[in-house]
Amino acid sequence: MSMACNSQSLFRPSGKLSSSNYKMEMIRVKSVLQPPRPAVDLSTASAMTSIAKSRIETFTKGLLGGLGPAVVTKQSLTKRLMEEEEEERKSCGNGKFGCYGGRFVPETLVASLNGLEAEFNSVLRDPAFQEELGTELRDFVGRETPLYYAQRLTNHYKNGDGEGPEIYLKREDLNHGGAHKINNAVAQAMLAKRMGRKSIVTATGAGQHGVATAAACAKISLECTILMGSLDMERQSSNVVLMNLLGAKVKVVEGNFKDATSEAIREWVGNLETSYYLAGTAVGPHPCPTMVREFQSIIGKETRKQAMEKWDGKPDVLIACVGTGSNALGLFHEFLKDEDVRLIGIEGGGSGINNGKHSATLVRGEVGVYHGAMSYLLQDEEGQIVGAHSIAVGLEYPGVSPELSFLKDVGRVEFYTVTDQEAVNAYKRLCRLEGIFPALEASHALAFLEKLCPTLPNGTKVVVNISGRGDKDASTVFKYELESMD
Amino acid sequence: MAAASTSAIPNNCRATQNPYPNPYSLKSSHLPFNFDKFTSPVPNKKASISCTLTPYSTAQQMEPNPKPVLLRPDPFGRYGKFGGKYVPETLMHALTELESAFHSLAGDQDFQKELDGILKDYVGRESPLYFAERLTEHYRRPDGKGPHIYLKREDLNHTGAHKINNAVAQALLAKRLGKKRIIAETGAGQHGVATATVCARFGLDCVIYMGAQDMERQSLNVFRMRLLGAEVRAVHSGTATLKDATSEAIRDWVTNVESTHYILGSVAGPHPYPMMVRDFHAVIGKETRKQALEKWGGKPDVLVACVGGGSNAMGLFHEFVDDEDVRLIGVEAAGFGLDSGKHAATLTKGEVGVLHGAMSYLLQDEDGQIIEPHSISAGLDYPGVGPEHSFLKDLGRAEYYSITDEEALQAFKRLSRLEGIIPALETSHALAYLEKLCPTLPNGTKVVLNCSGRGDKDVTTAIKLLEV
Repeated sequence: MSMACNSQSLFRPSGKLSSSNYKMEMIRVKSVLQPPRPAVDLSTASAMTSIAKSRIETFTKGLLGGLGPAVVTKQSLTKRLMEEEEEERKSCGNGKFGCYGGRFVPETLVASLNGLEAEFNSVLRDPAFQEELGTELRDFVGRETPLYYAQRLTNHYKNGDGEGPEIYLKREDLNHGGAHKINNAVAQAMLAKRMGRKSIVTATGAGQHGVATAAACAKISLECTILMGSLDMERQSSNVVLMNLLGAKVKVVEGNFKDATSEAIREWVGNLETSYYLAGTAVGPHPCPTMVREFQSIIGKETRKQAMEKWDGKPDVLIACVGTGSNALGLFHEFLKDEDVRLIGIEGGGSGINNGKHSATLVRGEVGVYHGAMSYLLQDEEGQIVGAHSIAVGLEYPGVSPELSFLKDVGRVEFYTVTDQEAVNAYKRLCRLEGIFPALEASHALAFLEKLCPTLPNGTKVVVNISGRGDKDASTVFKYELESMD
Repeated sequence: MAAASTSAIPNNCRATQNPYPNPYSLKSSHLPFNFDKFTSPVPNKKASISCTLTPYSTAQQMEPNPKPVLLRPDPFGRYGKFGGKYVPETLMHALTELESAFHSLAGDQDFQKELDGILKDYVGRESPLYFAERLTEHYRRPDGKGPHIYLKREDLNHTGAHKINNAVAQALLAKRLGKKRIIAETGAGQHGVATATVCARFGLDCVIYMGAQDMERQSLNVFRMRLLGAEVRAVHSGTATLKDATSEAIRDWVTNVESTHYILGSVAGPHPYPMMVRDFHAVIGKETRKQALEKWGGKPDVLVACVGGGSNAMGLFHEFVDDEDVRLIGVEAAGFGLDSGKHAATLTKGEVGVLHGAMSYLLQDEDGQIIEPHSISAGLDYPGVGPEHSFLKDLGRAEYYSITDEEALQAFKRLSRLEGIIPALETSHALAYLEKLCPTLPNGTKVVLNCSGRGDKDVTTAIKLLEV
């Protein structure tokens, strides 16, 4: 197995290591890139102070120089550390999922990420924050979202004997903004405010995360800058208009989501003390994947409760589409330890996974480091990132969450792909049978039901995450239909 | 409440004939509905035909200052002098059947349970009562005093507006009646999409009538209705807009009355529609009462809602009409201005007449012909208004004002920037009225505004006219 690694710049992988040099390179890579801190945090207050001190010293000697940010960070971090009680390990963990994840970033960002991690851990245990977040999720976002029994879809999958699984839809499309993205955006915006930041910077693919962030920033009164790829802007122009209306500044970046992400992080690095990088997906350096997953896990928590209320049990199968993995992890995380719950992730097969134009990172990718984390990614022979393709813009990311990479390797989650055509058919099917427009992303999960349901025993409870609504996709489907008729 | 009072009347009192003279027979007009102006109150000479057992003599309704116990509506579908059933004979039976079905289902636990389940899992109720902190701050006066603004989030419903509450309930009702086919009219397409949505959900055939002009302007909504499995029929007669589509839909219903149910989108039209649609939307007000109690241990002080046909407003108001201490404010569209002649401010500038089967205020010219209304928002662009609103206005129970296109656009932008919620242009009219209202309200007044829909559909229109 070869690996792409970035040793110089943050976000440009610089070539695959050839297998003959593998062992030696591995050692070298380890010493350069391994984060300098020990795996166990907060074992003793004094130990932490010294570690923090040394880290801060490294930081000030680093590229950025200048006392401003270092002083602020030093005081708050040390103070916080000294006030910490001896407790069980933070639920945040150390950012590693097996060999995946981690924090492959330059020194300049390490202190910020540490600060972020500490803040995140403190809010996880802060009842006042949790209560406020709960109120916002209820009154602003509109949670809890229903677990809807799709009668007509269930009938569609009944076989000749009238037997088949029962299909339930987790209605994340009903959230404010029309997707699950807002769960995370609101929580992180609140976190940013708590940290005293004045502005948010983020990148968006399909625009849903951009819209959700812009909405959260308007409400919480933070400035908002959103970077979006030029190719994406064309395909989801309606979302761009929404972001502008909500008061956000939208900046164009040549390319698509991956390029927008790189640019957003560059912007953040330039303004570390006043700006906050709001990760929209479960990728990136630790603690981003964990934070996003944690804030999205409300989906799974509600599902467990609702399943109990509805049929006095657990779901048997959970299906979600996978772009970077935030909605899938949000649904799955609650049930990871329930061995009897089958977890299925569906990626974008584009026009077919054999012709190179797809987004099937977990099915077809190889391990490397991208945007600060080790994970599966779509790369060519030289370890260069290959652009991803899907009719669903939100699935078009050549990487994937490190946590999902780990879950794939251990066999806890199964991954399959669905083509553009199958997704469009599923979109139309749900409209016709249930009067719900699913996002093209979620349509991938729905399309997989065609293959899955015939194999399931009678009465199996299947929950599909409808991660977003598809109003934004009506014109895409319209055009796709026209083109396919030619 | 009105439903409860009418069901108290024994069955043998249910008159099958409208005791009021049918205007249709008095005129030689070939139109099914009479658009003439009525300057005198409708005579009630035949009131004595009605059942002697009824405690509610219709003579009472004609008193200039009715007693506090008001029937909304009375057994004949009247709200004071407004409302009624101005329809051809062929529809009378269907309307009566609809009314009895509605009353029997109102008491049917299974129906209620099924409807509640759908409202919860399909539509996404209950919708939150959201404290708009930044908007409240915006209206705070220099001395730190001001009202508290709460938004009832009907924009979070499935399909993005309050319309679905009624569509879902009527589709369920139609199914119970054994109807296989649904028809509806639509202007901009919102009600059409809501109807097509529920028909897909319930597996009913669906035909939507839409003016040819509107179809051109709203091609994406037409595509969506077709994706949902509905047939969209273009109407070319008249001005090829909403009122012509409505007439065509009614014509279809007259022809196919046994197999077809007509889902009317608002609290207008012949009885029992205004009552039914109001009762199906009344969940808005019921939830608001409960949520207000949870949030501040009291009732709202002021309720504000936009008024086109009047369904979202009635849905919010109905629960509180008998609470004298709750102020009810409806906001209509003043378009380019009340004096421009291009507006839809029916209750401010209209006169009483009959349109689409009900007596109500409407925008009409000297000859009693309907004036084409104008508003930037399609949902408020209706030349009539629900009869119950006409009634509440004359009674002085509710106040009605109007807001121009320009003011609505500013409010649209304001809520987006301050709260991260993009409201429908219809809702923006209600929001715009806060600018005039809030300075007059004492400190701590609880204002609940019905955020009747989300504004994704309006963004392209708004952007063209706003400098963003």
